[in-house]
Amino acid sequence: MQDDEIPTLIDVDNLETLPPGQPDPGAKPVPLTIITGFLGAGKSTLLKRILTERHGYRIAVIMNEFGDSTDIESKTIGVESGDVRSEEFLELPNGCLCCSIKDTGVAAIEELMKRKGAFDYILLETTGLADPGPIASIFWQNEEYGKGLGWDIILDGVVCLVDAVNGLHQMMADSASNADSVGESLRQLAAADIVLLNKIDAAPLKLVEETEAMIHRVNPALAVHRTMRAEIDLAKVIGIGAYASGPPPITVHVHDEHCAHSEVGEVGSTHYAVRGISSLQVRCPPLSSAKLDALDIWIRTLLWDARLPLPYDAGEGLEILRCKGLLETVDGRRLVLQGVRSMYELEEVPRKGGEGRVGDEGKLVFIGKGLGEAVRESLEAVLR
Amino acid sequence: MSAPEVHCQSSKCPNGNPASRLECPTCHKLGITGSFFCSQECFKGDSHKVVHDLATPRQSLPDDPSTNKNRTFNPFPHFKFSGPLRPCYPLSPRRQLPDHIQRPDYAEGAVPLSERKNAGMPPRVLSPEEQDKMRTVCRLAREVLDLAAAAVHPGITTDEIDKIVHDACIERDAYPSPLNYRHYPKSVCTSVNECVCHGIPDQRKLQEGDIINIDVTLYKDGFHGDVNATYPVGRIDEESKKLIRTARQCLDEAIKICKPGALVRDIGKTIEPVARANGCSAVRTYTGHGVNDLFHTAPNVPHYAKNKAIGMLKAGTCLTIEPMINLGGNWDEVHWPDNWTATTADGKRSAQFEETLLITETGVEVLTAGKPLEL
Repeated sequence: MQDDEIPTLIDVDNLETLPPGQPDPGAKPVPLTIITGFLGAGKSTLLKRILTERHGYRIAVIMNEFGDSTDIESKTIGVESGDVRSEEFLELPNGCLCCSIKDTGVAAIEELMKRKGAFDYILLETTGLADPGPIASIFWQNEEYGKGLGWDIILDGVVCLVDAVNGLHQMMADSASNADSVGESLRQLAAADIVLLNKIDAAPLKLVEETEAMIHRVNPALAVHRTMRAEIDLAKVIGIGAYASGPPPITVHVHDEHCAHSEVGEVGSTHYAVRGISSLQVRCPPLSSAKLDALDIWIRTLLWDARLPLPYDAGEGLEILRCKGLLETVDGRRLVLQGVRSMYELEEVPRKGGEGRVGDEGKLVFIGKGLGEAVRESLEAVLR
Repeated sequence: MSAPEVHCQSSKCPNGNPASRLECPTCHKLGITGSFFCSQECFKGDSHKVVHDLATPRQSLPDDPSTNKNRTFNPFPHFKFSGPLRPCYPLSPRRQLPDHIQRPDYAEGAVPLSERKNAGMPPRVLSPEEQDKMRTVCRLAREVLDLAAAAVHPGITTDEIDKIVHDACIERDAYPSPLNYRHYPKSVCTSVNECVCHGIPDQRKLQEGDIINIDVTLYKDGFHGDVNATYPVGRIDEESKKLIRTARQCLDEAIKICKPGALVRDIGKTIEPVARANGCSAVRTYTGHGVNDLFHTAPNVPHYAKNKAIGMLKAGTCLTIEPMINLGGNWDEVHWPDNWTATTADGKRSAQFEETLLITETGVEVLTAGKPLEL
């Protein structure tokens, strides 16, 4: 076109998208839920239900084959050239979308969002991934890049399906195996925020109860829903905000009844160990800012250096897979701890009016390997 | 979409300037609001085009044919560019190096295998001998950057700057680290105006009023030294000066907190408030990085406040801090189809400064230190 040629006017009402670079103020971040599960526990039944039933949500289900995780992280440094993207889409009558994306990870899902737009939720199915922790941490970190720009994805939580008939057996087999390599089922539970204990109609009640107790022993910070044929109100699975800044859903009370009456400064704690994975749950009193700093140092020594601050020694093999917590300060501030593997965030959240008394609800939960007595003692020494 | 009604902007509208939803496509792309006309006839008859020239004094219009008079061309004529900057191809042929210059592992195959092998490892502590090698390569990197900067003037192409950098590396028996790193085609990154980073040197001539970031990395004796800075081309407007000063201040403030035991996450917490206080934003997708025998390695150094970066600084480790600072509140960026060039999403300008740092027992040594910013 020559400089003096006049272009054709465009009808702004018929434009497909907003001009690039304009943040859409109405856009909400889209929650992403990672679905994992024991072999044969009913993952495909759940996904089929989501893709076919009239539940009123627009959900994109992504079948994932992430492969090499070093490629997923490449977004932080440069753009990989020779972009090999293979995608398959299946748009479904109930408004959902099923697609498979190979190997391009976070960037590919964001691209999908930009092109297909307006999903209420994204479900990421993690077939072939023993441990959802690394993927969860990648999405959690990735939240930082897009926040507020209208195409951001936030990590909502990790859902794990457990088979009520065989689940207990799988967990026992995994915990009985060599202590150095923690079994797949236990790693999935450690990373999970919600468990669907499925096929309860096919298992004796006693087995269902034992299985549920075992699940809580591995991860006291998750919520269990019992299901048949994976039938569940989707509101209990998606949009749970397990990584959000609000108080985390620590649903299990500290089992030691005495600690409810313990004096400020004294720490009640329980400590379970399934061979391989264990958890440490500690109630904590309102903290002074000096104690809060000391706790932050304790957490980062544990998570980043896989050891305890001196003089405590937890020995070899300390590994934290997930942590959650709600803390209070003596001056009435409230903080939420979230962590997956080495990555954590301790963030102040607003205290809603009239919500709880100060001193009511400080709790910390750590799930991982090697959480022995030394860890508990060292943490108590910090809080005391 | 709901927008206020705009009346036909023609000065000679025969229809009495009724409200219209028909917009000038050029203004729409350039982000100039309010250019509505009631009909194609009215639009044609108006002297409206002068508005575009005011908005983009130095650039051709986006819908120009992709081939220019001097046979250069825009290889992506259908791409929705966020601002006026365009690629100007053809790229010059790949530059060669004498055999005696030591190559990094990606020089042939383009894949940084050793970086992949070390993914997930903690930052490497360098021996005193290795630290000396870092000092040397970083000093040379600064020399090369200064040479390139001295050549910046209206009329020089970014490809000519690439040649200056390439030849200066050879003179110093060093490999220009960007060359063929993940298939990057050139020896330096030249990022002009709204380009955030990773601009590929091409046939575009620098124009009075441009700003340009030159990002130089040398590889010598087994180590990389990485440095960049943003320069004015001739006289630039006050807003661009303020942007450049802000970017420099962001880096300087961040360097001040560096010492053993400082938390990596606090670097971004230092940078972003400085950017915001000056009406700017810190880019999130690109981060600072560890640098040593690997070009990019642990730690990953976010430049924004709310980050969950892992780890603390340790004596004997080397890293870069290189905040990319955008004018205005939008830190998002778009990538050109060349798979490298990142520009701001809104077409506003972006500036950056980078130094390679060595954490010492007592604090920090700026290995690539140069003269203070004069603007």
